[in-house]
Amino acid sequence: MSLNAYWAYGLRIHSGLVCPELPVHTEEAGDPDVTFCLLPPSPLESDTLENGYYDVQPGIFRLAVPGVAQFRVEGGCRILIVPLPDVPLEKVRLFLLGSAMGALLYQRGLFPLHGSAVETPWGAMIFVGAQGEGKSTLAAEFHRKGYRLLSDDVCAVALTAQGLTILPALAQIRLCADAFERLGAPRGAHFHVDKFMVPLGDGYCPDPVPLRAIHVLRHSDSENSADWAAPAFDPILGFERVQCLLENLYRPHYLKGQGTQGDLMRLAGLIAQKATLAAVTRRRDPDVVDKLVGFLESAWAERFAIPCLEKRN
Amino acid sequence: MRFGAEDKLSRVQNLLSTELDQETVLMSIDAGAYYGLEGPARTIWNILETPVTFSTLVQRLVAEYNVGPEKCAADLQDFLGKMEREGLLRVE
Repeated sequence: MSLNAYWAYGLRIHSGLVCPELPVHTEEAGDPDVTFCLLPPSPLESDTLENGYYDVQPGIFRLAVPGVAQFRVEGGCRILIVPLPDVPLEKVRLFLLGSAMGALLYQRGLFPLHGSAVETPWGAMIFVGAQGEGKSTLAAEFHRKGYRLLSDDVCAVALTAQGLTILPALAQIRLCADAFERLGAPRGAHFHVDKFMVPLGDGYCPDPVPLRAIHVLRHSDSENSADWAAPAFDPILGFERVQCLLENLYRPHYLKGQGTQGDLMRLAGLIAQKATLAAVTRRRDPDVVDKLVGFLESAWAERFAIPCLEKRN
Repeated sequence: MRFGAEDKLSRVQNLLSTELDQETVLMSIDAGAYYGLEGPARTIWNILETPVTFSTLVQRLVAEYNVGPEKCAADLQDFLGKMEREGLLRVE
């Protein structure tokens, strides 16, 4: 088995299968933090899992994806992969780098939010929101304007000696068709499952970035034309902040049974205190995405200092 | 219900909590509901970490706040009643 060394969520990953979605680790020497073990194909045995297709125990997460593979995530440091016979590996990777990796992040005590993140002069900015609110599309627009992306789907917030940071994740972004057209069909893009995969190249930020703000994207369905004039940036206050963070966790049902809910709740309190949480509401119109970048830049410039001059924590 | 002087009071187990500025935020895992506790409510919650009788709770609050025992006991009946209805309080 060849060794593929990658670097994601601040973790050195050695993988038994090639993962073009992950940034390559340049030094192959050294012990990995996480190992992906690809085992020989075998039929699915999901009848042993508690919730039908997944099962959570302290330090052990098991997932059976019908038609794809079985995964076993252990102690935050190993993922065993048993593909079904004759399944294309890109399908397996979709669940490996999504669901299984999400469970691993929980095991490591990180706070995985379901959303995209960009590096800005003010720090890392996260965008969360319900499906279809344009998290990836907005990230793609920032990328087009020259910002480096930290994450497309799962944003891992970590408490480090430098304070709260976002750990960079992927070297590709997944886009739906309209966002793909907006990016102007960049080189190396290909269609994959239901989205376009776009390699980020230099548009990918390889280093952890201090967290500054988390934005909840929302649409206004108001018919009132006055509400259409500009998007709105409304800070979220009080304990709603904690609620908002927990509601936007990645695969929150993977947490129950892990035995770490108390730690995660305390981390939510810390994130709510240190980061700005804001609802960003705009009207349902694709052209607004373009203007939204400028709107957010002004909102940030008004509220935040550029952190390079201030001492953090 | 009215709480008796010797009723033993404590927190229910199925809650998550975190500190946020001047507030303690509780989340009920079963109900998925959130609660914010400030000021005296937060103090009461902190005291309830280990089981106490109603009368001990009154004594400790009187010692900490500028309030007489009768007023304190009456307010506490209301507050603890609300907590119990929300499923946050265990009474033995």
